[in-house]
Amino acid sequence: MKKRLLSMVLVFAMVASLTVGCGSSGKTKSTSAEGEKTEAAAKKDGDAASGENKEGENWKIAVVVKDLSNGWFARMETGITKFAKDTGLNAYMKGPSATDAAQQVQVIQDVISQDIDALCVVPVDPAACEPVLKEARDKGIVVITHEGSTVENCDYDLEAFNNAGYGGFIMDKLAEAMGEEGVYTTMVAHLTNASQNEWADGAVACQKEKYSKLTLLEGLKRVESENNSEKAYEVAKEVLKKYSDVKGFVGTSSMDTPGIARAINELGLKDKVFVVGTGMPNECRQLIKNGSLSYITLWDPAEAGYAMCVMARMVLEGQKIEEGTNLGLDSYKSLVVDPSNPKVLMGAGWISINKDNVDEYDF
Amino acid sequence: MGTTNIKIKDFLNGDKNMTRLLIVFAAVFALCSLTKGSMFLSTSNFQSMGKQFPEFGLLSIGMALALFTGGIDLSIVYIATLSSVIIARLLPLMVTETATDGTAYMMVIVCFILAIAVGIICGMLNGFIISKVGIPPILATLGTQALFQGFAIVITGGSTISGFPIQLSTMVNKLVFGIPVTVIVFIICAIVVGFILARTTLGRQLRMLGTNPKATEYTGLNNVKLTMTSYMMSGILASIAGIIMIGRFNSAKADYGASYTMQAILIAVMGGIDPNGGKGNIQGVAIAIIIIQMVSSWLNMFENVSNFYRQIIWGGLLIFILIFNYVINVREKKAAMKK
Repeated sequence: MKKRLLSMVLVFAMVASLTVGCGSSGKTKSTSAEGEKTEAAAKKDGDAASGENKEGENWKIAVVVKDLSNGWFARMETGITKFAKDTGLNAYMKGPSATDAAQQVQVIQDVISQDIDALCVVPVDPAACEPVLKEARDKGIVVITHEGSTVENCDYDLEAFNNAGYGGFIMDKLAEAMGEEGVYTTMVAHLTNASQNEWADGAVACQKEKYSKLTLLEGLKRVESENNSEKAYEVAKEVLKKYSDVKGFVGTSSMDTPGIARAINELGLKDKVFVVGTGMPNECRQLIKNGSLSYITLWDPAEAGYAMCVMARMVLEGQKIEEGTNLGLDSYKSLVVDPSNPKVLMGAGWISINKDNVDEYDF
Repeated sequence: MGTTNIKIKDFLNGDKNMTRLLIVFAAVFALCSLTKGSMFLSTSNFQSMGKQFPEFGLLSIGMALALFTGGIDLSIVYIATLSSVIIARLLPLMVTETATDGTAYMMVIVCFILAIAVGIICGMLNGFIISKVGIPPILATLGTQALFQGFAIVITGGSTISGFPIQLSTMVNKLVFGIPVTVIVFIICAIVVGFILARTTLGRQLRMLGTNPKATEYTGLNNVKLTMTSYMMSGILASIAGIIMIGRFNSAKADYGASYTMQAILIAVMGGIDPNGGKGNIQGVAIAIIIIQMVSSWLNMFENVSNFYRQIIWGGLLIFILIFNYVINVREKKAAMKK
């Protein structure tokens, strides 16, 4: 019996030391002493604007994401790691191993009792996070959210872009693919979906302003994919059969774009009909490479992760975040304040992916 | 003679299990304190852990009850969410803007009672399908899981409901002498269930049902009634977990806590409940809950250790304990045969 107990304790110790080993190897500066922190606080007004990290400003920033098993957030982690490397600050990512609001709240509850200075959250469910985020703020922790524009208990919410701007970006890419002339139409998941319709509206507005030779299909201005790639494929086929002059599609949901591309591919309309829209690199890689999908547009989670950390640091250093604030990234160099909610700031964090750079993205 | 022998053995068996768990507990505690001393041993960390474990702890005890009788309750998390969405729908109707603080608290309590009633009904339905209709527990509760979740989705329309009277979250998130009130609720529930299982006729009958349902039937016990009581108790615990969840999140949705089902099974088994029924006690489960919470909070203290390690460690622990218990059982049987 004794032997068994001993062996059990040993096994436990082994597992534990393994984990500890993994932990300490990658750790940067965890030796932050209380004294240093107060020193940093004392001089934060003075040299806050400088980009270099001064001795003693050893902020600890935790980022809690929706789900660690998701490639999107693995990509986000690269941005956070880069921030930690660039600044020498202790920034790291945590999250539940399944997308569950309850589990995410548990993780947040843990990290806020671990001496962090700032917390960045990509909430699974903004409402469920409110109480624990309030608790964090009551402890004096700076709270930044991303994709959580309804959150009340935060210092700021960072959105990758404003919806109309993103629509305009899709249109720019589509116009480029179509050679700036021809008839196009737009697709959304549902006509009731707020953000996707704003993207589509933004695309149309951009076309009216910039591309006079492009025209929106009069008979069918907007079609629905019901957020289903199969349905998108069928609808695109119908449109192309009925209106042979259609040369372009704006896809908004990440299901639209690959569905439309498949229809183009199957009808042998490659290089005659073009589609640009939101899509995930791993899902669309094949279609991009065979030329049936011109560009996918999206925002890069790595940049969003980096930008959140920059924002957290600026708040910690007492800098004001306002219209035009530069987060030091190309896509977040001039933030726009949401007119309906002054806490929400939007970047221009869109990127486009075509066959030249699709292999740089793995999510 | 024979019966006393069995009793003593049962007692020792439970005791051995407790010894094992206490050693693991001590080892984990020592490890956490040694590696992350100042952070782990802080008041705020203990409060944080205290806020986290009651909700899945109650679900684990409910699961333990089902396993104890030789069944399983896969619907337990959905009983919790169904209870919480029902509170979410009723409470705003019952507490009007003009209500005084006192009446608001009254109404919150009324809602809690209604939620527990929901738990009772759901649990009885489980017990009924299992014992009266005769569907194996794993299938029956898989079915009711879908049913309860379906109800919750219909009630919420699939979205999050929030915006409750402040009294709800105030009540659930209260600290009493620095201890979260949810911890106190958890302790009371654990003691009550532990007492029922260990010291009452009902507990003894449930143990017999778990060990050999045929035998209980032939000795004239009412298996249907026993099974229904056991699942009803699970349902009550689940609805209390649901109350804690709605209070902590100040919102309700049909899929909150969806990942707790497996965790609850893991903890119950780790706590020494035999998945084949009839063995184990609630003390063991309570210690397992605290061990799991310590490991999980501790892992979150390492900035660069992914939460996947938690999965690996849990999975590893579960398999280890299952094998360990199995080997011990086989040995004991052999020893008994020799006699």
